[in-house]
Amino acid sequence: MSTAQTIDKAAVEQPYDVEAVRADFPILHHPVYGKPLVFLDSAASAQKPRQVIEAVSRMYETEYANVHRGLYYLSDRATTAFEAARETVRRLLNAASEREIVFTRNGTEAINLVAQTWGRESLKPGDEILVTELEHHANIVPWQMLCRQTGATLKVARIEDDGRLDLESFQSQLSERTKLAAFAHMSNVLGTVLPIEEMIAMARAVGATTLIDGCQGVIHNRVDVRALGCDFYVITGHKLYGPSGIGALYGREALLEAMPPYQGGGEMIETVSFEGSTWAELPHKFEAGTPAIAQAVGLAAAIDYLERLGIERVAAHEAELLNHATQRLSAIEGLQIVGTAPGKASVLSLHADFAHANDIGLILDREGVAVRTGNHCAQPLMARLGLTATARASLACYNSHDDVEALAAALEKVKAKLG
Amino acid sequence: MALDKYQEFVEALEALDDEMRFEYILDLAREHKDDPFPEEAMTQENLMHGCQSRVWILHDADGGRHYFRGHSDGAIVNGLVHMMTESFSGLTSEEIAALDLDHVRRLNLGALTTQRQVGMMAMLKHIQKLSRQAEAA
Repeated sequence: MSTAQTIDKAAVEQPYDVEAVRADFPILHHPVYGKPLVFLDSAASAQKPRQVIEAVSRMYETEYANVHRGLYYLSDRATTAFEAARETVRRLLNAASEREIVFTRNGTEAINLVAQTWGRESLKPGDEILVTELEHHANIVPWQMLCRQTGATLKVARIEDDGRLDLESFQSQLSERTKLAAFAHMSNVLGTVLPIEEMIAMARAVGATTLIDGCQGVIHNRVDVRALGCDFYVITGHKLYGPSGIGALYGREALLEAMPPYQGGGEMIETVSFEGSTWAELPHKFEAGTPAIAQAVGLAAAIDYLERLGIERVAAHEAELLNHATQRLSAIEGLQIVGTAPGKASVLSLHADFAHANDIGLILDREGVAVRTGNHCAQPLMARLGLTATARASLACYNSHDDVEALAAALEKVKAKLG
Repeated sequence: MALDKYQEFVEALEALDDEMRFEYILDLAREHKDDPFPEEAMTQENLMHGCQSRVWILHDADGGRHYFRGHSDGAIVNGLVHMMTESFSGLTSEEIAALDLDHVRRLNLGALTTQRQVGMMAMLKHIQKLSRQAEAA
């Protein structure tokens, strides 16, 4: 950890060189429709730097075998690399021990894991789960399924019109019945960064367990699960410049220890007989079957990459772009930025009175500008905002002021065509 | 098969470059500005599911032939809806049942993404379902 901090500190003193960052991402240099790619959909899935692509290739070329199984050289190398990746995730979140880091397929699987293990054991009729209006479906549906299974009730904290959380609504719905408070660190639609420290403290005050969906938050904010005091924190690799098919769950060790396994199979057992089986130690108890080995190594390479750039420096760069984009797009008449909470990060959801979100998406695509359109897996939030769809531009470490200008120019073109 | 209108669209699209195809599709919906889709028909019942934009399709049968009318809240999708409903109106049940991905592919020509093609295929399946339901009724 100290090494990464030292590098961060040194890096902070130099200006952010976005062109050097862009040079690390091969895909950005492949034109689409003969135009330069302007990639503004990183909140859905980020592009991968050469360092990640090479780490995955190197693994397959030189040190691949199944992990935790063989006595031979390659298996040992693969196991070492896989467990080193776990240590990298631990360092990113500042967890107390790598026993608290469970590899999953993605953020969705991590949340389902908690729902179906901790949740099934802990909830009973009359208990409540508190979420917020701005959650991604992944942080709603697993809890609805759990409520059906256990007779618990789902409660929803309100947001304000500008996208900030109504903290009073959150506080007022917490009670001794609240067994779990599950909320996003950052909204994938609005860019709102939630006051998670206060929310965790409020939830803990009534004895509730806390789960933070950090799939967006961990990319743009320094996370310290010990300082936060949360029970679970969920991340996904593919939004963090890593491969798809890998995510991680941080869980407080005492909780993970008490939880039953999620899926049964190889790897997660200590002994198996037809009379019964015993479970492996943490975190392997939750990792049934062959894990995503090369993907874990790729994720570690992505985390190393982001830490070398400096999470805070990247966030400052993105904030500068967000500021530029907000000013530039606010000047286009008939275009509204949905989500203007103070301190919001890196996401611009757009609603136009001159074009449907899909028309925006299709026309922008032809200009080489990739944005996401639709409800962004957050239908309850869209209903709350009175919208069926937005066009969302999201910013990442490799975006530049030129990208912002290209977005604005393409939106002006949409307006000229359809306005 | 009475696919004259369909043939007209295919030939027009083939003659245009990407940029112009876009304009052409947008114009298809604009042509109908004087005869807008009835607002009272924009119901949950007429809504086609599985589209990012909302798409409503109305069906009518006359003398053994099927007629369709449609609308979308997105301008480009609206153009595609017009292209589809106009292409495949006036056909018999057998003719509609015989339509397949190739028909959609030729209308999809270049200007649009694979996801649009999936959407147009869904629209064709929806039209086929409506004609089957009318047949059964």
